[in-house]
Amino acid sequence: MKQLSIMVDLDRCIGCKTCIVACRNHHGLVDHENAMPGEMSHYIRVESELTGTYPDLAEDFWVVMCQHCKKPPCIKACPSGAIAKDAQTGIVRIDKEACTGAKKCLAKCPYDVIQFDAAGNFAHKCDLCYDRVIHGLEPVCVEVCLADALRFGEKEILLMHAEAEGKELIKKRSTQSILYVKSPRR
Amino acid sequence: MHRNEWIPTVCYQCKAECAILARVEDGVVKEVKGNPLARGKMCVKGMAGVTTLYSAERLKYPLKRVGERGEGRFERITWDEALDIMEKKLRELRERGEAHTFTYSMFPHSTTDPKWRFVNAAGGFISTGLPHCDSAKIMAHLHTFGCFPNHHIAPMYYTVPKGGLMILSGRHPFGCLDDACVPRDILNAKARGAKLVVIDPIFRSEAAKADWWIPIKPGGDAALFLGVCHYLLTNDLYDKAFCEKWVRPGDMDNLMAFIADKTPEKMSRICEVPAADIVRLAKMCAEAKSVCIDAFKSIMYGNAMDWGHVWSILLVITGNLDNPGGQPLPEIAPMAPVTPVPPAPNLKELGYHRTGPDKNRFDHYNFILEPTWYAAQAVKDGTLKVFFASECNPALSEMGSGEWRKAMTMRDEKGDYKLELFVVTEIMPSETMKWADLVLPDQTNFERWELLYMPWWYNYGHTAALCRPVIEPLHETRHANRVMIELGKRMFPEYFAFKDDLEYYDIELSGVGMSVEKLMDGGGLWSPGTAGFRKYEDAGKFNTASGKIELEWRMYADIGQQWPSPELPLEFRRGEKEFPFILVNFRTIFLNNTGAWSQNNAQLRDPVSGLDANPVVINPIDAKRLGIAEGDMVTVASSTGEVRLPVALSQRIKPGCAGLIHGFGQTMGKVAARGNWAGDNELIADAGSHLDEQDLRGGEAHVATRVNIHK
Ligand code: SF4
Repeated sequence: MKQLSIMVDLDRCIGCKTCIVACRNHHGLVDHENAMPGEMSHYIRVESELTGTYPDLAEDFWVVMCQHCKKPPCIKACPSGAIAKDAQTGIVRIDKEACTGAKKCLAKCPYDVIQFDAAGNFAHKCDLCYDRVIHGLEPVCVEVCLADALRFGEKEILLMHAEAEGKELIKKRSTQSILYVKSPRR
Repeated sequence: MHRNEWIPTVCYQCKAECAILARVEDGVVKEVKGNPLARGKMCVKGMAGVTTLYSAERLKYPLKRVGERGEGRFERITWDEALDIMEKKLRELRERGEAHTFTYSMFPHSTTDPKWRFVNAAGGFISTGLPHCDSAKIMAHLHTFGCFPNHHIAPMYYTVPKGGLMILSGRHPFGCLDDACVPRDILNAKARGAKLVVIDPIFRSEAAKADWWIPIKPGGDAALFLGVCHYLLTNDLYDKAFCEKWVRPGDMDNLMAFIADKTPEKMSRICEVPAADIVRLAKMCAEAKSVCIDAFKSIMYGNAMDWGHVWSILLVITGNLDNPGGQPLPEIAPMAPVTPVPPAPNLKELGYHRTGPDKNRFDHYNFILEPTWYAAQAVKDGTLKVFFASECNPALSEMGSGEWRKAMTMRDEKGDYKLELFVVTEIMPSETMKWADLVLPDQTNFERWELLYMPWWYNYGHTAALCRPVIEPLHETRHANRVMIELGKRMFPEYFAFKDDLEYYDIELSGVGMSVEKLMDGGGLWSPGTAGFRKYEDAGKFNTASGKIELEWRMYADIGQQWPSPELPLEFRRGEKEFPFILVNFRTIFLNNTGAWSQNNAQLRDPVSGLDANPVVINPIDAKRLGIAEGDMVTVASSTGEVRLPVALSQRIKPGCAGLIHGFGQTMGKVAARGNWAGDNELIADAGSHLDEQDLRGGEAHVATRVNIHK
């Protein structure tokens, strides 16, 4: 199976959160009138880690979105069969219409990325911008990334890029289809 | 206008004004992104601008105060009534011979801003709404090598060669107050083998990407770089050929004499950067293919002229003027004047709006932009009677906000407000609006026409950008520029004889063979051509009186400022016992928090996409000494005020410093008023109240002050 993926370059991610807001705009996740902080759905989040002691510090930033797992636990957890992994692209999608709002997938997702729309009673999440990628475009987060830290493509090819640039795969983070890479520590 | 397409316009969630595209479907803005013609990036604040546009909280129609100032009670009025009130008061002021006691606090988006024109026509004083941090950098470069940058003329990071050196000194370009392409450009330069050095008391995302982070005592930048210059000059590591050819005769000898005792060891004691590190930095500069420096916070500490002077000297002695990877020297592309041109205020006669005790000595300085009107002081001494404000939020976001709020309610003997009329234009409910007599609903960048133009080229490739309405304006909003044109037509028809803002922009653009129409055809952007390097080689001279680089500022010899002082700003040198910490305010990219329109944005106050807290950040070393633990509530007190805040302990801050994110503390706006956070400006003194030495060294410490912290 082909797997479309995003490669996150920790040498470049500055944790700016541009991708989060662009993603929300594109997918209509903000009700601008009633939106309140802490209550808005989001398909991406930024994480970071500061290490060392003053003044010898290092900090990494990276983004987390649906990892489009090889064997997605959300699919297994869904009682209504509303979640499926697309054979052509490897994208894991939730069928809103088929979703009965059981919320089982939310608890089973190891990455805590599934959102729940209480008003519409359905689960939703990152679908790698399925509507765009099937037309040959990149996911929105990749397109807008301020630092060009994200790259989109087939998993195998992205890994070749990383190798060519001397970047290492961060194994503990990249078990699935979102690849995290960075240069070996200087 | 009801098309489904991407329309080029300009962002306005901060002052960088990036060129963007807005996706409009059936008259609704759906999403936004960078304009590929402008190299294509837009940051998180800009992305969140859509939320401002459609916020239910937008000011929808003109409001008139009904209660007392500060109460925030208003009633709806018509635009005609609002214009009548402004016209009547301004006419009355002129009849009393007090036209100059009118000012407008604003951020002029271009030299062509119609609001600025109105102030001149009315005989008022322009106030940029900015303290003169930026002016000091501009003046330092102008005095030394005659170039005219504004803060948008950051180094051209996309020209930094392999082996080049990029120095950020208190500059936070990943916070995108520059063009949104800058973060990528810096990372690209690094990827091709340039080095990044970040000098900052706080470790932020730039430092995380840097080859070297140098924590420094706030205000120590002039000392640090004087130490670097000392090493370069005394070890023959400077660009002799360049200096011989271009520096004014005599200046190098005098510089050598001045620098003789500015040893790294001595400078180290001031800036608290180890002498060995100063030497290491000097060696890096000497070896680098190119060196560029950018600074912003560090020129806001109260010694901006000194620091700007040292900065200029370093660029000169390393030969880094107008070369790839050095300091760009912009050119000027002049617009056509809209005649007749209203006269600017006579500063010689009226003086600068300075209230510090050293006013006479200060008047030696010839600032380009008039320094900020210290509104509180001016109200007190009766030199400010009518005050308009746009895109600024002095009740919260400017230094001395407490003093300012007090001044707004001061009364004269008759019991009337000393400030006779206060008008605010704003998109969202702002803190400042509570003290206003009139509140005029402004438009977002998705609803208004605006020509953004600086005569000196933007190094981002364009010199003029057009902001255009991409949807029909919402509610009864009107853009402040249009309001001032309308008022201008009523009061000064001779100066406002053009039809509207579009015709005004057309006349100006004709000076460079352009028009609004042509600008739109060109994707909303215009540039006179390529930037070019080392233009002084072709010209055979620099744009200074002598035609040479002038390192020594001889015009300031009588006030002892011909060479830069390494001393910390006075603000940090005194009161160390009582106030042992230096508080430094800072920002993040996902929060602008200056203007009310961006403070009240649900996406930027969201903990996922923005930030919803501003605890005071201190180093665990200090916390241990004070017996303070993570999350404790503490009082942070300065000589002018105090706030209660939770503490966040972090290795990312230099011991002895405290960090606070700027601009929290609103009581207006359902989003912004949430949470129990505090405004940093409660702690920063009103500049007019403590200007003494700062007058002479280039400004006030307006993002930092000394504080003590206790439980
Ligand atoms: S836009 Fe890019 S740099 Fe910014 S947080 Fe997202 S991935 Fe990181």
